[in-house]
Amino acid sequence: MEHAKLERHGMAFALAVLGVAAIGGFVEIAPLFTIENTVEQVDGMRPYTPLELAGRDIYVREGCYACHSQMIRTLRSDVDRYGHFSLAAESMYDHPHQWGSKRTGPDLARIGGKYSDDWHVAHLERPRALVPGSVMPGYAFLSQTRLETDHLSVALSALSRAGVPYSEEQIALAEFDAFSQADPEATYDQDLFVRYGENVQIRDFDGDPNFLSEMDALVAYLQMLGTLVNFDNIDAKEIAR
Amino acid sequence: MKPEIDPHSGQETTGHEWNGIKELNHPIPRVFSLWLWASILCAAILWVLYPSFPGYHQVLGGVLGYSSRGAVNDAVIKGQEQRAEAYAKFAQEDYETLLNDPALKATYQDEIGVLFRDNCAACHGRNGQGQLEFPNLRDDHWLWSADPEEIQYTLQVGINADHEDTRMAEMPPFGRDEWLEQADIDHVIEYVLQISNQPHNAEMAHLGETIFEENCAGCHGDAGHGGYENGAPSLTDTAWIYGSSRADIADTLHNGRRGVMPAWSGRLSESEIRQITMYLMWWAD
Repeated sequence: MEHAKLERHGMAFALAVLGVAAIGGFVEIAPLFTIENTVEQVDGMRPYTPLELAGRDIYVREGCYACHSQMIRTLRSDVDRYGHFSLAAESMYDHPHQWGSKRTGPDLARIGGKYSDDWHVAHLERPRALVPGSVMPGYAFLSQTRLETDHLSVALSALSRAGVPYSEEQIALAEFDAFSQADPEATYDQDLFVRYGENVQIRDFDGDPNFLSEMDALVAYLQMLGTLVNFDNIDAKEIAR
Repeated sequence: MKPEIDPHSGQETTGHEWNGIKELNHPIPRVFSLWLWASILCAAILWVLYPSFPGYHQVLGGVLGYSSRGAVNDAVIKGQEQRAEAYAKFAQEDYETLLNDPALKATYQDEIGVLFRDNCAACHGRNGQGQLEFPNLRDDHWLWSADPEEIQYTLQVGINADHEDTRMAEMPPFGRDEWLEQADIDHVIEYVLQISNQPHNAEMAHLGETIFEENCAGCHGDAGHGGYENGAPSLTDTAWIYGSSRADIADTLHNGRRGVMPAWSGRLSESEIRQITMYLMWWAD
């Protein structure tokens, strides 16, 4: 009958409930204050370019995460098939992250560079034409849809408030940068390297150099996935600690 | 307060009364509460043994020093060693020896097929038969020669890929960039149809021959047989990557082509690249 005492004293009981609930809160909240320990120090990670960000928004809009994960787990089978396990640093500019929890299709965390742009375009337009038996829906309209770019500065600015280190110059030139990344003949492409780093891929992604489509943005995003971190300079022991 | 005993059952009551009805006090069976305490104890032990909670400077590592990332790194290295041993032949012996080993194909073809299907089949098809825009690997038409060393090199550095030594091959957009007049392009199309033994307009093809020699022969060769030096396809055979119809050829001449084969160095090991090369060679047998 030990609990009888507690149950007969309202204030004491309320305090006891608060104490127990606080343990749960502490376990969930405290790790957030040590996030710098969780995010690895790596070379090459950078905020997404405006075109990649627009592609990422399309990825989210179309619900790609419902069938594709972006999380290579620390399992040998995952690492053998998809490459180095995902690092926390690789999602540090994701708001929200696209880890996903279901793999109807394959993991996409390191899809960048695995296939050609042409393949991505053809596959997104008509998945079953390239992969018989695939259950992925077709997204042919992306090639015909003009990419909305006028909101990109605002989008970058919103992310910078959430902690993504976009500079004022990057925010101001977001729309311009989106166009130049998909324009192989742009003479100002060096600016993109200066603003975002050497690992920006600049080319026409969807096979139509005269038209900036949603396909350009989505393929630019997919071809970037998993390619940013320079794994040559990684200290495996430090990462695994 | 002493617990009240129910006279009928001999059990304790909870002491509460609702309009004369009293409740017997049946505490949960002892085994359940023991199980609960045992779980809490296990949690405490695991907390000590394994990494548990992020500290201010470093995570509480646990006395075993276990790390799931360390564990998977070890498992991957062990797997690589096992495979290096199992596939040692592919890394050590030259292609001639490998091709003359009759037992090799029977032993390894199925296993290496998994590697092919996971990495190559998306473009080249499960059976390597290729599809529009992606070359057939089962016919004997090769862009960079049928020499296994050359095939291996293509796998390593890719074509028009992001590797620094990648092979480069581009069909320029003659029409879009206005390198040729539309009339000249129409003539070249008829000439290409002629040398590939397709129905054509002989008069236009004759006009196209000179234009071909001046603009196309540099890569495709005087007779349009292509060349292994620059990966230009032969235009005289039946293997067409982008289609052989008049409309397909017109599209190629207008917009150009720049097919990409990704570079697989880094994503696949040297030994795996040699295994896939052998896999392709076995088809040619």
